[in-house]
Amino acid sequence: MIELSGVTKLYGRVIGVNDLCITLPTAGYGLIGPNGSGKTTLISLLIGHLRPTLGQVQVFGVDPGRDRSVLRRIGLCPASDVLYPNVSALEWVTYQVRLHGFPRRDCDPLARTALATVGMTAAMNRPMGTYSLGMRQRTKIAQAIAHQPDLLILDEPYNGLDPVGRADMTRVLQDWTQAGRGLIFASHVLQEIESVTMSFLLIQGGRLLASGTADEIDQLLLGQPMKIVVKGPDVRDLLSRLAEVRWVDSLELKRDRESLAISVNDAGELYRALPAWVSENESRIEELSSPDGDLSALFESLLKQHRGETV
Amino acid sequence: MSTWAIPLDVMLFELRRSFTVGRSALWFVLVAFPVGILTAVSMIARLRLGEEYTAALLEERFGMAMYFLIPEVTCLLGLLLWATPAISTEVEGQTWVYLAMRSKGRISVLLGKYLTAVTWTLSAAITAVTLSCVAIGWEIGSNLWAVLCLLALLSCVAHAALYVVIGAVFYRRTMIAAVTYTMVVEYFVSFIPALVNQITINYRLRGILIQWKDWDTATTPAQAILGSDSIAMHMTVLAVMTILLLAFATHRVQRTEYPTQQEG
Repeated sequence: MIELSGVTKLYGRVIGVNDLCITLPTAGYGLIGPNGSGKTTLISLLIGHLRPTLGQVQVFGVDPGRDRSVLRRIGLCPASDVLYPNVSALEWVTYQVRLHGFPRRDCDPLARTALATVGMTAAMNRPMGTYSLGMRQRTKIAQAIAHQPDLLILDEPYNGLDPVGRADMTRVLQDWTQAGRGLIFASHVLQEIESVTMSFLLIQGGRLLASGTADEIDQLLLGQPMKIVVKGPDVRDLLSRLAEVRWVDSLELKRDRESLAISVNDAGELYRALPAWVSENESRIEELSSPDGDLSALFESLLKQHRGETV
Repeated sequence: MSTWAIPLDVMLFELRRSFTVGRSALWFVLVAFPVGILTAVSMIARLRLGEEYTAALLEERFGMAMYFLIPEVTCLLGLLLWATPAISTEVEGQTWVYLAMRSKGRISVLLGKYLTAVTWTLSAAITAVTLSCVAIGWEIGSNLWAVLCLLALLSCVAHAALYVVIGAVFYRRTMIAAVTYTMVVEYFVSFIPALVNQITINYRLRGILIQWKDWDTATTPAQAILGSDSIAMHMTVLAVMTILLLAFATHRVQRTEYPTQQEG
């Protein structure tokens, strides 16, 4: 479905994406990365909106920057909002389908079907200026799927959707991937993507840091240096044991004596050892948290690894 | 598949969404501005000349005034508002990405917006020409109507192509670029009695007016400004210029990486 060979995009002296090499067969993928990580640049390369400074982009075997006919096989829901206030959703989606070169008579039925899929039938004749953010988001998704593409690219598609809307969209996207069609779901929230697909691409600083399933990413998290905070009245009991193991970098007992910050170079080791120690000492541990055990920590760790700063 | 008709559908879409109070008011202003001036001039002439007033005496002056007010001013103002921001409004409104990722999007939108600009401005210009002809008196207005409508058409077709090129190249500060070009090239350079004025659109339009109406009094003292080429030559040059400008604009739009303002 997608093949990137050494793709680099420079904006003057700023790197958008850096030496991306990946081959993705048709399936659903989550593209995760913090804001400014290069997700949108990558998407713009996939739709031929940007041309790579170096390397080659191929979607369905075609360079989208050179042969725009391949765009008919791609649907895009960008992060930017729609700003045609006096145009109805039906009119706009019909117009978007027409711009793909579909015959006039086919555009209206395709637009109506797509708007029905996202639950916009009741409001589709109203001007978009009267829509809520969630309704505009649904309309954007409708224009992306209306021409029945083989690959759907969504950039932060849950922005503005309420919980019901998110559930509806999740169902639509699950049906989409189950039908065997391609999906790229870009977000900086892992949980949003997990509900739709279990394959991930992690991007940070314009580099593709890792790819794999949710379990594989969990394993990556476990293998990364991180800071874990243990809270409870008996945390001091753990000090002596933690001081003896090699995978602990530092220990910090807070002033309240009930909070212990542990810097580990392999969180998995701690998670494996901790239950046994607590059980043997009959210690009371009330909370175990990883303040930087979220994606940003993972990205930072992977980036350092990428640069060769950690072993 | 009727892909050749997509620009027409873009034009219909754009015209439909242009029916706003602001756009409609602008249309009326563009019509009222030359009609108001010509009505005032006509009334003053009738008052000043009294019984000496004859329509034929003033045909050439009214014709030149109508030409400057409508094909050179009204048309250019309308096109500045419609053709110049064809790309920049979509880029600034962050809607360009929706259009650019359609397989026929870029060229169809550019040509569709070009047609929209021509249609919208031409409708105002022809209305203004018709009302102006009535205002100055139909006895001379009927002689001027056809040539001024043709000049308005040529002005819209050629200038719109010029402005979409400016819009495609300068998608930031588009209006400044277009107004500067218009003032310097179309209004200043076109009056320079040298070879350089022959590459301006207004030189060609003036030439057609003078040749068509065979106004010797205007032609003789200012031949280098108004041109002595035949009407066929002027129209051929305008047609070639329009085709080349549109070809360049479509090429530019196909190749340019316009910002989506949401790089992440």
